[in-house]
Amino acid sequence: MEFFKKTLDPVIALAAIAILDIFMFLIVGAWTVGGGETMMTGLMAQAVLGDDLERIPFWNIVFKPDAGYWKIYISLGMLFGAFVGAVASKEFYLRVPRRLSEWVLITIGGLLMGVGIRLAFVCNVSTFFGLTPEMNLGGYLAISGILAGAWVGSLIYKKILES
Amino acid sequence: MSILGECLVAFVFGSVVGLLVQRSRFCNTAALRDAMLFKSYRNTKALLVAMMILTIGFTGFISIGEGNPMHFDVGLNQMVGLFLFGIGMVLAGACTVSTWVKSGEGNVGAMWALLFTFVGMFLFSLFWSVNYWPPAPASMTGEPNLEALQLGFANAETLQEKFGIPAVVFGIIQASVLFAIYRAIVRRERATQAPQKSAVQPAAGKPATMTGDEVPAE
Repeated sequence: MEFFKKTLDPVIALAAIAILDIFMFLIVGAWTVGGGETMMTGLMAQAVLGDDLERIPFWNIVFKPDAGYWKIYISLGMLFGAFVGAVASKEFYLRVPRRLSEWVLITIGGLLMGVGIRLAFVCNVSTFFGLTPEMNLGGYLAISGILAGAWVGSLIYKKILES
Repeated sequence: MSILGECLVAFVFGSVVGLLVQRSRFCNTAALRDAMLFKSYRNTKALLVAMMILTIGFTGFISIGEGNPMHFDVGLNQMVGLFLFGIGMVLAGACTVSTWVKSGEGNVGAMWALLFTFVGMFLFSLFWSVNYWPPAPASMTGEPNLEALQLGFANAETLQEKFGIPAVVFGIIQASVLFAIYRAIVRRERATQAPQKSAVQPAAGKPATMTGDEVPAE
C-alpha cells in the first residue's frame, strides 16, 4: 500500500488529526496526553507501594489512581498505532542511543517534562491542540512558556552539538 | 457515555493519531526546535494548520453550547511548567506525543524518556504534597487568586458571555493571526529557498534546506 511506502505530508496528517480532535472535543474532550500519563504514574506507583500511596496527598486530592480514566487510552492507542504503522512500513527496529551523553540528556529531558507537565497541569498537546484553540488564557501562558523553554533548550542543544 | 465507551473512543482516536504521526514523522518538538535552530518549518506549518482548524472548530461549537472545553484555573504555573517542559523536550529530542510514537517504532531512547517522564511526575507529586501548589482542581473557584499566583478561568466561552458576541468571532480573529504567521513562514521559506535552489540545482535539484525527514537524530 502506498500509504506505508511514502512519508505522509505532515500538513495532511495534522489536518486529519485536527478534524478527529474536534469529534473528540464533542464526545469526551480534546486530545491530551499529560493527564493520562499522570494517571499511569499513579497506577504504577500504586502497584509498587500499595496502600502506602495514600500517605502522599497528591494521589488522594489531585489524581486518584483510576484505570477507567479515558486519557490513558489515548496514549496506549498512540503506541499501538505507531507500532502498526512502523511494522507495516518496515520501519520497526530497535534503536538504542549509543553515547552516554545521549542517555544523560534524555534522562534530564524526561524528568523536566514530567515535572513541567504536573506543575502546569497541562502538557504540550493540550497547549497546542486543546487550550489554545479553546482560547483558554492558560493556553497563551503555556505557549509563552514552551517557546521560551524551547529557545533555552535549543541554545543548550546547540552548545552540545558544537562541543 | 459509559466509561468503557469513553476509553474505547480514546483508544481508537489514539491509534489513528499514532499511525498518522508515525507515517508523517510529525514532531511537536521539531516544530519549535527546527524553526528556532535550523530555520526549517516543515513541522511548524503543520502545527499551525491544525491549530487554525481546531480554533474554528472548537469556538464554533462553543458558540452553540456544544463540546467539552477544559475547565480549570490557570496561572503562573502554566508558564513556568511549560518552560521546564520546553527545555526538557529539546534535550530529550521528543515531546509527549513523539515519546509514545517513537516507542512504538522501537526507539529505546524514547522509552527511556517516557520512563523518566513518569519518574518526574512522581517526584512532583512528592513536592506537591508538601506545599500544595499549584491549587488542586477541587479547590479552584474560577476567580483570580493572586496569593496563589492564579488568574482564574477564561476561554472563548467566558468571552462570549462577557461581550455577548459568539465565541466563533473571537475564533476567527485567532485563526487569522495564526494564518498570518503561517503566511510569513511560507514567504520566508520562498525567499531563502529561491537563491539556494538555483545554486544547487544542477547537482541534485533538491533544495539545500533541511527537510523534516532529515531531522537530526536525537
